[in-house]
Amino acid sequence: MNGGKVTVGRTAALYAGAAVLRLAIFTLLPDLPDLLTGRVEVSTPVTSFKRLQEGLFLYNHNVSPYDGGVYHQAPLFLPLFSLLPNALSYPIFTYLLYIAIDLLSAGALWKTADSGEAGSSALFTSPRRQRRWNGFVIAAIFLFNPFTVATCLGRSTSVFTTCAILHAIAKAVSGAPFGAMVALAFASYLSMYPLLLLPPLLLLCYDRQRTERVKKPVISFAATHVPVVFGVLGLLFGMSYLITGSWEFLPSTYGVQLTLSDLTPNVGLWWYFFIEMFDSFRSFFLAVFWLHLSCYVGGLSVRIRRQPLVVLTLLLGIFAIFKPYPSISDTSLFLAMVPLYRHVFPLMRYSFVIAAVIMYASFLGPAFYYLWIYAGSGNANFFYAITLVWGLGQSLLVCDLMFAVLRDEWELERPEMAGKEIKQI
Amino acid sequence: MPPNITTTLNTARARTYVFRLPLFTRVVIIAIVGFWIAGLQSVVDVREWGALIPDEMGITTLYRMNTFPFIHLNVLHAVMNIFALTPLMERFEGEYGTLNCLALFFGPLTTIPALLYVGVEKFVFGGNVAVMGASMWVFLLLAVEAIKTYKVNPRFVIGTYSIPTWTTPIGLLFAMAVLVPSSSFLGHAAGLVVGYGAGLGYVKFLAPPEKILRWIEGKLNLLGRLPHYVSIDQKTYGRFGVLPSANGASAASPGVSLGLVGSTQRLASALALRRDPRILKIPPYLSLLCILVGAVWLFLLPLNEYSRRTYISENALLPGQVHTYFGGSDQNVFRAYKKEVNELVGKGNVEINDKLESIVKALGLKTARQNFTYSAAGRTFAGENLYAILQAPRGDATEAIVLVAAWENVRHEVNRNGVPLVLTLARYFKRWSLWSKDIIILLSPDSIAGPQAWVDAYHDAHDSSKVASLPIKSGALQGAIAIDYVQEQRFKSVHIVYDGVNGQLPNLDLINSVVNIAGGQMGMGVALQEMWHHNDKYPDRLRTMLRGMLKQGLGLASGPHSSFIPYHVDAVTLQPFGEGWQDEMAMGRVVEGTFRSLNNLLEHLHQSFFFYLLMHRERFVSIGTYLPSAMLVAANFTIMAIFLWMKSGQPDAPAESTDKTPTPTVERDLFLPLAVVTLSGSLSAIPLYIFNHVPESALTPLFLLFLIINTLLPIAISLLSTHLFPSSPPTLQQYHLIKSFSLLLLGMFLSSLATLNFSLAMLIGMLSAPLSFVGPSSSLVSRIAGFALLNFTSPPAVLLASAAVWGLNVGDVLREAAVAWHVTGTYSAVVVWCVWWPAWLAGCVCVLGRTEDKGGKVKEA
Repeated sequence: MNGGKVTVGRTAALYAGAAVLRLAIFTLLPDLPDLLTGRVEVSTPVTSFKRLQEGLFLYNHNVSPYDGGVYHQAPLFLPLFSLLPNALSYPIFTYLLYIAIDLLSAGALWKTADSGEAGSSALFTSPRRQRRWNGFVIAAIFLFNPFTVATCLGRSTSVFTTCAILHAIAKAVSGAPFGAMVALAFASYLSMYPLLLLPPLLLLCYDRQRTERVKKPVISFAATHVPVVFGVLGLLFGMSYLITGSWEFLPSTYGVQLTLSDLTPNVGLWWYFFIEMFDSFRSFFLAVFWLHLSCYVGGLSVRIRRQPLVVLTLLLGIFAIFKPYPSISDTSLFLAMVPLYRHVFPLMRYSFVIAAVIMYASFLGPAFYYLWIYAGSGNANFFYAITLVWGLGQSLLVCDLMFAVLRDEWELERPEMAGKEIKQI
Repeated sequence: MPPNITTTLNTARARTYVFRLPLFTRVVIIAIVGFWIAGLQSVVDVREWGALIPDEMGITTLYRMNTFPFIHLNVLHAVMNIFALTPLMERFEGEYGTLNCLALFFGPLTTIPALLYVGVEKFVFGGNVAVMGASMWVFLLLAVEAIKTYKVNPRFVIGTYSIPTWTTPIGLLFAMAVLVPSSSFLGHAAGLVVGYGAGLGYVKFLAPPEKILRWIEGKLNLLGRLPHYVSIDQKTYGRFGVLPSANGASAASPGVSLGLVGSTQRLASALALRRDPRILKIPPYLSLLCILVGAVWLFLLPLNEYSRRTYISENALLPGQVHTYFGGSDQNVFRAYKKEVNELVGKGNVEINDKLESIVKALGLKTARQNFTYSAAGRTFAGENLYAILQAPRGDATEAIVLVAAWENVRHEVNRNGVPLVLTLARYFKRWSLWSKDIIILLSPDSIAGPQAWVDAYHDAHDSSKVASLPIKSGALQGAIAIDYVQEQRFKSVHIVYDGVNGQLPNLDLINSVVNIAGGQMGMGVALQEMWHHNDKYPDRLRTMLRGMLKQGLGLASGPHSSFIPYHVDAVTLQPFGEGWQDEMAMGRVVEGTFRSLNNLLEHLHQSFFFYLLMHRERFVSIGTYLPSAMLVAANFTIMAIFLWMKSGQPDAPAESTDKTPTPTVERDLFLPLAVVTLSGSLSAIPLYIFNHVPESALTPLFLLFLIINTLLPIAISLLSTHLFPSSPPTLQQYHLIKSFSLLLLGMFLSSLATLNFSLAMLIGMLSAPLSFVGPSSSLVSRIAGFALLNFTSPPAVLLASAAVWGLNVGDVLREAAVAWHVTGTYSAVVVWCVWWPAWLAGCVCVLGRTEDKGGKVKEA
């Protein structure tokens, strides 16, 4: 499937196909987007389009959007969406915006794929790198992934974060560290958790600097670029302050993620745990859960130092499992990055199991949620059990991908072991 | 690093391992087992006798220092310790010899830790905790091993940290202390300390001098007499005595590396199990077993051992505990209403409603009407619902119960007694002051569309172009009772109809309450599932259960109550039947009693079961008991899917590999299989749309046409895939993958469905069971036989056959399905066309695949 030359026509056809598919669903099945918007698998308290509507209504009536405790998203969404005509009377403009964001994300992914960073980074060149998919295939996999389509239809605001993260990566591999930092700052502003991607992204930027520049040590490279992120973040916070007129947005957006004050069910592992918890232990376990989420960053960055893009991919997978409000949107971002590693797929051991587990979970999840919420014949344990399976499927994928990448590195060191079975003892 | 050694497992290896265990290790194992058996009797307390108890230590009880490792708390403790100890002890003995082992383990290596433990426990902590079990030895030996490993391989690296290898037993010590609460941390630690000492050689002075041991060995000729004896002198005799061809030099191999190799091989063998070719032979049988067990399971359910008696779970219901007063002068009222109603028979819907509304208004109830129009299969179902709300004297209009009487029942007979009875009951209820929930009287023109429109609108879930909104409403619906009382003469028993749309069921407590009131309090019979006579024996129970499953599987509405159940409103329809001496007033009292019970509810019915199979009015099985059968049937598809996936990864020609190394998996070509599965999935939208949207008259011809196309379609796809790519026709691997994906999807859908509608999943699962076992073949006969078998179990063929069996017209069946799809939202058609049919189609394409047994390539015939 290495494909021939990607012509302009094929590119246009892919983008047009993805856009037409989404538009067709929007127009032919007008109830589906609203149905998806209400699904807990698609919309979380921090990305829901319905809550955005509520915030927008308050904002347009000169009330603080954070009054009432429904809206937990970044303030800069409000002026953006107030520019568009009302989503209820003229939904087409909102649809077009979301479709455009998806296409932009696909474009960034395409660039990342075509850079070949996945197969050959500055410090490591995989012997298998020839077996890869080009940007066209990878963009197509992303655009036609049912999870991506469902997220777009559900108009979850996480697509903006996805777009920013993919652009940060694309900028980093194309040797534009400044742009990467700015994009990451945007992603962090929208969802906070992407800030954890900063260390591997810095390493990626450092490795992919243009050769004509004199290589500085990593420390001084970081010292010049980390301030960019925080500068842009500060600027965005300042603009948010100007728009909403108070710093109230900080506790309402990032505070909610940090303290998990909204316990609406989602596909993640936090909500059930914190529903069951006695209040006295809450802060301790919040700290533990966040520590757990962030502890992967250092370890992976050190261990897989030679392939920073792998670290980014794995971290995106880990976030999709363990972050406080995950949704299928995060999974779709992770699944968008995984095909970059086509060359190590033959080394993966559980691909069928992973596919089966993820598929089973995505069918049983809605069924169990229905039994719990609508039919009343199940209870919360049904849905939580299936979110555990969902998490298991994704963590299997993360582990298996990590195994394959490490094995690929190891076989370069030990060529005599290539293709042989190894055991960990 | 120790060498990575690739081995395959074999059971033979494990067996030789056990058979070659050296002598002392055997003795220890036998002793542990023996002491456990001795501990089974209760005359002498072996544990009390042999455990190491600090306070009991005296000069006469020193034997405890040697007996405690053999004595265990229970069988689990003993088994765990045997498993942990055996490999360690075997290595130790293999290295030092049996005699040495005997001396050490009945001497210093047991008594020193024991003394250490007793000293610390008694004098430092002042406690008196008894210890027993061989785990002290385990830790001791682990420490010895750790030191040995440390000498060869000083540290291992995690990330950037290098950790000395000798620390690992300490980690294990803490892990054990945390994970096994009753384990003795101190006892283990004592073993560990002595073990480290022994490993570092500080205990060597305690070992008996080698010269003496050799002398004993030589004098007694132990090597010759004792089986499995390990000599002290490894240098001369090797591990297992003198090998026939061994000279001194070649037999001399250091014990350490020998041991390490052995353990690595054992670990590797467990992992290699999954590559064993024999494993691949099991799945088809396992799959067949799943189906058989699933089917047999179902037939075991009616037995007393597997079913349970029903019971009232919600204590607030108190069924049959109140005196019912309906009767007396209400009889006259009933007769008056009945006369009025009889005059309305044959008149138009609006005219009937005008009259009924005037009656209800005269009772002082608030009334309202609602129009609805459904169209399905070229027909229009229109009408007007009339309903009235009796406001609760003691409630706040937050909850309501519904009393339904449809003008016509499902067989289109006029509900001649039901409607007047409901009117009489409304008048009677109005006079009571004890209601804490509103009572809604619903008089609908028919039994399916009317209630459906009303319930949809009540919950604001209606399509306002077809169904009008309700002008007045009450609170959340807590339950509903529908009366279908057509019979003119006096009746004997009540028939409870409880199947909801899509196989959903009302809470079992509601049915139990009605059974309790009608059967217990009123003394009339109760029947289920049209079993007019039920002797509570196995055949009748099975019949009741199967009828219930069939109805549940079809998912059709069976009465006015069916539409309520999807909204989580528990509802049943009561139908009087048989010839007896019960009159209308008795029926009214059953309803009164049930309403009094529902009135007692403090919260929604939630206690009892929502998933059950009833086989008698007082016997049921709950989901935990019956679900495994459907899940097993669904699992058979998943097992086959995994099996075919693994099979597709094997190389085409299985070369006779003599070295037994696992062959690497071949690259799978996924494009064609995914395309075929996607194609069959998307084609399924066509029959689904056609059969739900054509007018009634076209249904039968279209069905016959579809039957023919259905037979030809797999052949067409098969030919197309062969001739479209003449250079590379589909391979055996691709057929395996097509089948694998389609079975995976089928298994996935069915297991999801089993949680929603057990019977439908079971039904479809059994009907598509042949798909697991037929596959591509090289012989024409088996291809034709497989294709014929599949054609007999294809969805349209099954539809035709079942229509013939029940003496129905196919067109009527399809019309009912279309009406159910449009009016009540029954999704059985989706399951048949979009789950079953695509799997069947993919299965047919596979069966028609022409392959050679060995080559794997399709031969052009």
